[in-house]
Amino acid sequence: MSPVPKPLEPLIMHPRPSSIVAALYTLRDLDVDVVILHGPAGCSFKHARLLEEDGLRVVTTALDESGFVFGGHDELVNILNKVIEMFDPESIGIVGTCASMIIGEELHEAVLEVNPDVPVIEVEVHAGYRENTKGVIIALESALAAGILSEEEFERQKVLLNEATEVEKRHGAASKEYLEPSRGDTKYTVAKRIIQLLKEGKKCINILNAKKETGYMFADINAAVNQVAKDLGSDSVIVNMANLDENLGLDRVRGHARNIARDLKGMGVEVHEIIGGLDEYPVTGKTVSKLIAEKYPGFDFAVITGVPHAIPMDNLEGMEIISVTNGPRQVLPLKEMGHDHVMVEIDLHPKTLGVSNIVESEFGATLRELAREEMQ
Amino acid sequence: MKQIAIYGKGGIGKSSTASNVAAACADEGYSVTIIGCDPKSDSSITLLGGHRIPTVMELMQQRVEITEKDVVFEGYKGVKCVEVGGPEPGIGCAGRGIIVAIKTLQKISTVMQDCDLIIYDVPGDIVCGGFAAPIRKGLVNDTYVLTSGEYMPLYAANNICKGFARLGNQLNGVICNSRNAENEEAIVSAFARELGSDLLAFIPKDPIVQTCERAGFSVIEKEPESDIAKVYRKLARTIMERDSACVPEPVTDARLRELTG
Repeated sequence: MSPVPKPLEPLIMHPRPSSIVAALYTLRDLDVDVVILHGPAGCSFKHARLLEEDGLRVVTTALDESGFVFGGHDELVNILNKVIEMFDPESIGIVGTCASMIIGEELHEAVLEVNPDVPVIEVEVHAGYRENTKGVIIALESALAAGILSEEEFERQKVLLNEATEVEKRHGAASKEYLEPSRGDTKYTVAKRIIQLLKEGKKCINILNAKKETGYMFADINAAVNQVAKDLGSDSVIVNMANLDENLGLDRVRGHARNIARDLKGMGVEVHEIIGGLDEYPVTGKTVSKLIAEKYPGFDFAVITGVPHAIPMDNLEGMEIISVTNGPRQVLPLKEMGHDHVMVEIDLHPKTLGVSNIVESEFGATLRELAREEMQ
Repeated sequence: MKQIAIYGKGGIGKSSTASNVAAACADEGYSVTIIGCDPKSDSSITLLGGHRIPTVMELMQQRVEITEKDVVFEGYKGVKCVEVGGPEPGIGCAGRGIIVAIKTLQKISTVMQDCDLIIYDVPGDIVCGGFAAPIRKGLVNDTYVLTSGEYMPLYAANNICKGFARLGNQLNGVICNSRNAENEEAIVSAFARELGSDLLAFIPKDPIVQTCERAGFSVIEKEPESDIAKVYRKLARTIMERDSACVPEPVTDARLRELTG
């Protein structure tokens, strides 16, 4: 009567952001004002603090051992009342944690007791899901139930999340049992190489494929490539592709796309091809491949920023690939894919939370500085 | 659709009662599902000729992709049998297991929708949120408490009623599974009245039940003509027809001691 066990996926033993964290970011994207983490005070502390810098209030019911044994209903009711009193929010999120979910806390009961006159998105999530995108899906399901997300957008997000999960399993942080964090190649060396390629008039595909707000810094690198080429008087053809569709995604994400596109234009960068929205980074690869095959064959090198591992190698073969990520665990998978130079923008994400303008990147700055030296 | 849960002290005979009621209802032509929520996973064993089935939690632990056919098995007269399973005693949280397994079951199977009667055979007492999950998640619309006339089972039954009262859950009736205590039927009947409920059935102690269980069968299947089978049939009919219920008012411990003399 027992079924035949199916092969297991590799156990991922390095730390990654959890489903709880993913749910928090999703509530931020939904423009929720305050999130109550129903669980221990330390749960998801670092991300919670970063999100506070991005305008989202994150508080906790601070469940302790007594709460684990006896339940945290009263604590949740108290915090919910206090949140309403302190912040006068227009919407509230309640996010479960491992502790509260294991003991079977019923988030809805507290909401019923308090009966707030603003929407409350109840996210019953813990960190024990293998794919952290599960946290996003649960949050979106709850937002749908609370009536602050359309069915159409919900379905679209689900497709993107499934693709994001697949991308991570193929070449991302979920592709290997353990991934050694790495700083990647030296920015100075790679910047020199780009300058050399531009001086030789090599043709460049310059791709921004960023995940939401991280685009504020990655775009600076793509801009730097264009600016340096211009400063050097290079006759390189540079085709700029970017996932900056301003008509796709949640309002907040569309706003990021508008801001980045505006700044790029201000920096004199023309985006030749829009390859999708800022939340479409897992599916833009097909568009990129198609565009290269149909419109831009025979290019010499590619600069890919953001989520380079989501771009398939199909039509990049033969090009020298320079990629920039913000994940120290992403270096090895990218090298294994065949990327020639891989760099990491350390601490990119914290620097792009709460901003609305392009933020200078380390690699962009290096490239510009070396080009200036070259000109002297 | 009737969705019932039978609560009571551990070892009081919940599984025997649940499986015999399931079998009796199946005999009457109802489509029945029994969901065993105890880590021992023995709620359905007498409906399956003594066979133990894989549990939802066991398969989740193996990380295999679970489908309906892996966990839903047909027993006596088409009764659909599911066992939630759970951790070893003293490890993890069996209550959480019930929540996860039931959610899984809802996703992979229609067994909780396409039937006339679902019986949740829950663990001994409402000791944590997880054990109360079938009620709290709105999966149960009728609840029954099983007890004998002895002090400890009555204490547990009263405690369960405290849980019901706290959750605002209605009690549909009390069932007495006799342990041959003195004045047993009168004691349990008085207890039920004080709760604001009724004694629905008095199941006499009968060795046939144990004999059938040891052989891996319900009384309904193995000894359908026995007197005890008639008691179970009557109880099954009562459960299917009953629609009155009340939020119980648990008695004090002192009163419980008075009742049991």
